[in-house]
Amino acid sequence: MTDTPTGLRIRGAQRHYSQDTAALAGADLDLAPGRTTALLGPSGSGKSTLLRAIAGLERLDGGEIRLGDTIWTGPGQHLAPEKRRVGMVFQDYALFPHLTALANVAFGLKGPDAKAIAQAQLEAAELGHKANAYPHELSGGEQQRVALARALAPSPAIVLLDEPFSGLDRRLRQDLRDRTVDTLRQAGATALLVTHDADEAMAVADALALMDQGRVIQTGAPEEVWLHPKSVTAARLLGDIEVIHAFVKAGAADTPLGQIATPDFKNGCTVYVLVRPQAIRLTPSPDGAFTITRRRSAGTHLAFTIEDGAGQSFTTHTPVPSQLAVGDRVDVALDEAFVTVVGA
Amino acid sequence: MSPAAQGGLLPDRATGLAILAALVCAAPVFAVAWIAVTGETGDYLVHLARTRLPVYLMNSLFVGLIAAGGAGLIGTVLGWLVARAEFPGRSVLSWVLILPLAVPAYVAAYAWLDLSQAGGPLHNATAGLFPTVRGAWGSGLMFALVLYPYVYLLARDTFTGQSADAYHAARTLGAGPVSAFLRTSLPMARPALAAGLALVVMESLADYGTVSYLGAPTLSIGLVRAWSGAGSLVDAARLSLILVAVALLIFGLERAQRSRARSHTASGRHRPAPRFHLPRLQGLAALAACLAPLTLGLVIPLARLGWLALNELPAPGLFAASWHSLTLATISAVLAAGLGLSTAYALRGRTVIATASARAAGLGYAVPGAVAAVGVIAILSGTQALIDPAWERLTGNVFPILLTGGAAALIFAYLSRFAAAAIGPSEAALARVTPALDGAARTLGATRGETVRRVHWPLIAAGITSAGLLVFVEVLKELPATMILRPFNYDTLAIIAHNYASDERLGEAALPSLLIPLVALLPMIFVARYLSRTGSSSGTA
Repeated sequence: MTDTPTGLRIRGAQRHYSQDTAALAGADLDLAPGRTTALLGPSGSGKSTLLRAIAGLERLDGGEIRLGDTIWTGPGQHLAPEKRRVGMVFQDYALFPHLTALANVAFGLKGPDAKAIAQAQLEAAELGHKANAYPHELSGGEQQRVALARALAPSPAIVLLDEPFSGLDRRLRQDLRDRTVDTLRQAGATALLVTHDADEAMAVADALALMDQGRVIQTGAPEEVWLHPKSVTAARLLGDIEVIHAFVKAGAADTPLGQIATPDFKNGCTVYVLVRPQAIRLTPSPDGAFTITRRRSAGTHLAFTIEDGAGQSFTTHTPVPSQLAVGDRVDVALDEAFVTVVGA
Repeated sequence: MSPAAQGGLLPDRATGLAILAALVCAAPVFAVAWIAVTGETGDYLVHLARTRLPVYLMNSLFVGLIAAGGAGLIGTVLGWLVARAEFPGRSVLSWVLILPLAVPAYVAAYAWLDLSQAGGPLHNATAGLFPTVRGAWGSGLMFALVLYPYVYLLARDTFTGQSADAYHAARTLGAGPVSAFLRTSLPMARPALAAGLALVVMESLADYGTVSYLGAPTLSIGLVRAWSGAGSLVDAARLSLILVAVALLIFGLERAQRSRARSHTASGRHRPAPRFHLPRLQGLAALAACLAPLTLGLVIPLARLGWLALNELPAPGLFAASWHSLTLATISAVLAAGLGLSTAYALRGRTVIATASARAAGLGYAVPGAVAAVGVIAILSGTQALIDPAWERLTGNVFPILLTGGAAALIFAYLSRFAAAAIGPSEAALARVTPALDGAARTLGATRGETVRRVHWPLIAAGITSAGLLVFVEVLKELPATMILRPFNYDTLAIIAHNYASDERLGEAALPSLLIPLVALLPMIFVARYLSRTGSSSGTA
């Protein structure tokens, strides 16, 4: 689709809605050509604003957005949205209610082939038979696919997706998520997908960007970011995590769960030890240091809450099946692959 | 749960009243159709078809087109400006722009012809360059100036409610700002604009005073002449049928163009578009654009008539006429609001009969006043013919002539024409009272009556009042039905204004002409402010 994919580069993007509140506070982001980047952040973190700024629907108060050598947004510069060659899938899809599915997809196309290209795009989305249907005659999933087809039809340089699966039920979500990833990959599109759902972000993304309070706080491959968050905020964005405040003594942090080697930190400084629930292995032991206080089934694993003598409690994920029950005493061991230490 | 139970309170009594409303509104049309089909063929209609009918039709077409074009342009542009742009005076203009509806088109016509004809101040000041406002284009222009609020109101609320996403999607797909507006915002507003235009055209075709004064005889002139000149009920009914057919055609076209396409977003939540700030100069230009139709349709006509009225003694009979106008308008307004409210309550029950009644009552709105009047005459004389022999046999006396029922017959015709105008707003007002609210009130211990008094009424009072006031203003302005049905020597403001103006005694016509919009202005302000607070879902028809 995209002829020669070019990367998008954002530097110091700033956007203030009022004196005190900044939607964007100097966000940096690079989009790798031909790959899908997921932008993950809590609501109000500025991710939608960044997306709309890339599309040119929102102006920046500072910073720069450029595609290859072309400046899209810069000091005193603002390329109109229609000149940017972005394809956008809106949260509510924003299908034109007065146009058929085919006319929606053909909207951004020019020339005699417009209809044929749009039809082909619909066929690719397995919606060829719905070409003459109006948006309200389509199901939620079909609307989403039309919206994606419409965004891709003009071969955009960048595809932007704003929470594209938020209005759909769980099963449909999974299916559409996979379809969307396939479609974007086949199109070789450079894509940015905004979501507040960590699982979704990791499922669709080649690269992950975490956003908080108007800044991009970490980027990288999904597994990498999940395993090695650079901050407590980044770690929490990607799912459950135990945060243990600890001192570094003799090259290791002393935690209730055991000693963690801290080669990157000096003795005497305080650190946060971040422990994914998967890291904690339980072994039954009559005089173990911990007692199981809660057992909850979560399908693929069991979530145990354990408590030590000092009243500190932690949550663990243990693969099913397990014979452990509430009241059992256990010993713990840590799988250090799921443990990260960051400065406090 | 049964549908009636879902609907909540009072569905049974309300359904009875809804059926009554449907009968009142629809009976005259059906009577007209019956007379037209079964009556004997006279020479008059044949003669008319050979002579005047083509002129009536051509004039109707031109007047309708010019009115629609003018009102469409003014209404769409102003509606869009108020909805999407921020400029000085915007929030006040938002409702003030509705006020020209208080001015009857014929009143604007009296003033503008007087200003622009040979010897008039505009003619003199421009050395005759300013064209005289008359004929089909002059009439169309008058309608555009006072009826554009129908389009404006619907356009304003549609543009306000439109999700910005569609427009933004168009921008990301390569459309510039103007192109994106023309390809998404405007077509999405089309059903609303079409509905507004249909009302404008209907009102123009139903008019008698303007086209008669400015010399552009349309079908409704032919209709009034057939009755009051030739005295033929059958011919009047046949002409009525043509007019109703045209009306239904217009509403049919409006419905048809909606077809399967919809104007609102198919799914998801709306992202209401923020208004953009116009730079100072452009803001002043927007202000001027809004003030222009207000000045032409409201300020200039009232100022001119005010000036003329100051130089003339009040005409005799003005007080009686004012009293008649006020009582007729008040009684009709109260009754119409009652019927509208009942129909709205009945509709809550979601029964087939309630829906059918509401639609039948809505038919009345497509019926010009003159047609409603002919229908009422047909019904009354038909009833008379049925009762007379039996009554004479029973009592030996002659049954009193029903047509002399006078004011009651007039109110029947008014209700037939305008009750539908009260149903829409009532329905919209009551739609805010969800069954869950009823449930909440009842579970908290309120009786049915208390629920109506403490929950429903506070929520719907403004809507019902505004529906009644709308009917009040319409009845105050009404001319053709009043001309046909009024009892001998029973004048209203509209009648004496029309009679003096037709006799070229504009000085004496000025004060009654001025009184109509002045009396209508206050209720209109209430209606305009109500409609601007709630949006046009509570708007006309």
